[in-house]
Amino acid sequence: MEQWYTKLQILADGAKYDASCSSSGVERKNTGRMGSSSCAGVCHSWSADGRCISLLKVLLSNRCAYDCEYCINRATADVARASFEPEELADLTMEFYRRNYIEGLFLSSAVERNPDYTSERMARCLELLRQKHGFAGYIHAKIIPGTSPELVARLGALADRVSVNAEFPSKKSLELLAPRKTFDDILAPMGQIREALEERRHLPGPGAARKAELTYLPVNDPLRPDAFPVAYERSLNYKDRFAPAGQTTQMIIGAGGETDRQILRVSDGFYKHFRMKRVYFSAYIPLNDSPNLPSLLTPPPLKREHRLYQADWLMRFYGFKAEEILDGDDPFLDPELDPKVMWALRHLDQFPIEINKAPLELLVRIPGVGTTSARRILRQRRMAAVKFDDLKKIGVVVKRARYFLTCSGRYYGGPQEDPLFLRGRILAEERLPVAEAGPLSREQIRKSLLPIDDNIQISMFQMGTEGSHGLLV
Amino acid sequence: MDYLYDGTFEGFLTCVYLHYYEEKATGIYAAPAEFGGAAFIGAQPETGYQQRLGVPFRLTETDAEKAAKVYEAIPKKVSDFCLRRCYQIFLTSVPDKDNINLQYLRLAFKLGPGVDSLHSHPVVYAAQRAAGKVSWEVDKLSGLLRFSVLGEQPGILYGPVTPDHDIIALLGEHFADRYKEEAFIIHDLRRGKALFYRPDTKSWAIAPLQKKDLPAYSAEEQQWQRLWKHYFDSIAIKERINPRCQRNFMPVRYWANLTEFSGNPLDR
Repeated sequence: MEQWYTKLQILADGAKYDASCSSSGVERKNTGRMGSSSCAGVCHSWSADGRCISLLKVLLSNRCAYDCEYCINRATADVARASFEPEELADLTMEFYRRNYIEGLFLSSAVERNPDYTSERMARCLELLRQKHGFAGYIHAKIIPGTSPELVARLGALADRVSVNAEFPSKKSLELLAPRKTFDDILAPMGQIREALEERRHLPGPGAARKAELTYLPVNDPLRPDAFPVAYERSLNYKDRFAPAGQTTQMIIGAGGETDRQILRVSDGFYKHFRMKRVYFSAYIPLNDSPNLPSLLTPPPLKREHRLYQADWLMRFYGFKAEEILDGDDPFLDPELDPKVMWALRHLDQFPIEINKAPLELLVRIPGVGTTSARRILRQRRMAAVKFDDLKKIGVVVKRARYFLTCSGRYYGGPQEDPLFLRGRILAEERLPVAEAGPLSREQIRKSLLPIDDNIQISMFQMGTEGSHGLLV
Repeated sequence: MDYLYDGTFEGFLTCVYLHYYEEKATGIYAAPAEFGGAAFIGAQPETGYQQRLGVPFRLTETDAEKAAKVYEAIPKKVSDFCLRRCYQIFLTSVPDKDNINLQYLRLAFKLGPGVDSLHSHPVVYAAQRAAGKVSWEVDKLSGLLRFSVLGEQPGILYGPVTPDHDIIALLGEHFADRYKEEAFIIHDLRRGKALFYRPDTKSWAIAPLQKKDLPAYSAEEQQWQRLWKHYFDSIAIKERINPRCQRNFMPVRYWANLTEFSGNPLDR
């Protein structure tokens, strides 16, 4: 077992920059001898960087034939090299899984010799798990660009989720930083996977669905009627199954010169054209000194990654369109404020929203109201009107939401009789130009949202406007 | 009338029955030890009961028939969700949980299926919060439970936990399905009881268990544990170290039973 320590260290080290670790998207009872999968996924631990450990994330090998500049495993890098034998990795996965350390396997690999050789070995490992060990837990397989369609199909039949890394949000950065990978090589398997998934989903008639031993639970998400249904598997019938938990991808943020707007547009394209489940972002960590890359001293853009994920959530769960999120002048997300507040501040004409009347799509647009609290509001107001004091118990972040909503016609944005508040209003009036002056600058918005030092709460609504939101002032 | 029950769910439901068919309950409490209440499994060490001047109490006798009546009435008159919530509240260690539960059931019988939509009603809110603690902990521990292999091949899986709430029964189904061919024990160290699963009959049961009754580790166990710790340390990206975020997701009170942080769980 001694040799496993070094191998595991080297190969976990190489895999840790992969962002995805989710084990969600497929509901399956134990259809083999060991393992099951739950639709919501299960996290088993959290490493010191605060990221969850759900799947055993390893490379099958880090002996890479490619020399991509941003990558820790590039051919010319001075790192220790190792490869797992498929049998070894299958045994390791089973032993870890048996002790409930992990929810399944996330198998990726460097390109050893060529994509097909590597994918063949990956498929062998997964076949051992599924067939020899009767493993019914979660498997996420990475598809290497340039892998032959037959091998992609084989991996898809074994894995619950497959992913092809887009690596960069633009062709330009990809060509510059990963010369051996081409956009076409990346898009080809993505397209193949989408087609295979669509084929499975469009099985005609209920009889055919039974034959395929794969049915779909309706997704409980009225906001995205076109979202993926959740797969529910009755057995591990490899003939008809293909990645029931769908496909994902990931992009490196901050290595090329892309703007947030570009990144969001590209990820929106992935959701639309390839019907991806998720697009992951990974803040670039400088590992290599190259004129094409940020210097080694650049800290990873974690804030930016965080805001991009928030924007991604807005697209996936809150019914925002990609163009909407950054519809101002600035092509970057504000690092200080979350994208939903920023959007709301640019669209104050659409606020305040009356929580006792507005439909779900509008409720979730209120900053501080999430999908859970919006549904609770809907449920409760069927029985009785929702009062302002109820909001906290419902789970709304009141301190943020109060500026953007009314309860039964009343606005709670600030105490109107307070002289300090009136002063603040005048101050705000100076800082905030009226809507005609165009979108607010970042600085103006920030100043207007945060309370200033002496506890004056400033409303960020345009003052002096009449009619539609006379209630505001 | 304060009703004291024996600490079982049936006992609690009997009290609810008595509340409706005999004298109204001013409170329901698990009977303290001096009333012979701690003899059953899963007794809360602190029942929170104090005799009050002028309020009589009654030690109820658990009656399966009466309990069944209430048990069946809840899904019929309210909803399955309400019954589940009622059971979750029963399992919490929240102070005064039985009275939260009683108030909740009273409101539920009055309002019917709509009761759980009243998220901000003080009674429903208290119930929702208490029940939420249980479902949260079940979700967390189904990931954070760690098994070690005891005895010789194939061995028994042994998973010690110290949950805040009495939840091991709710872990049974998940693990019985996942490890259907393995014998396993989920040991609630705090309450001195354990869930035992038998692969031959595919059934599980809960019984008292002391640590000293356990066999030793299997020969390879320590190595697998070391390997896991090793993996755990290698997977963190050092440029992103964020202990606060880690503790947010994985409260420190659960660390003692985690292989990745502790030494040998049997030594402690």
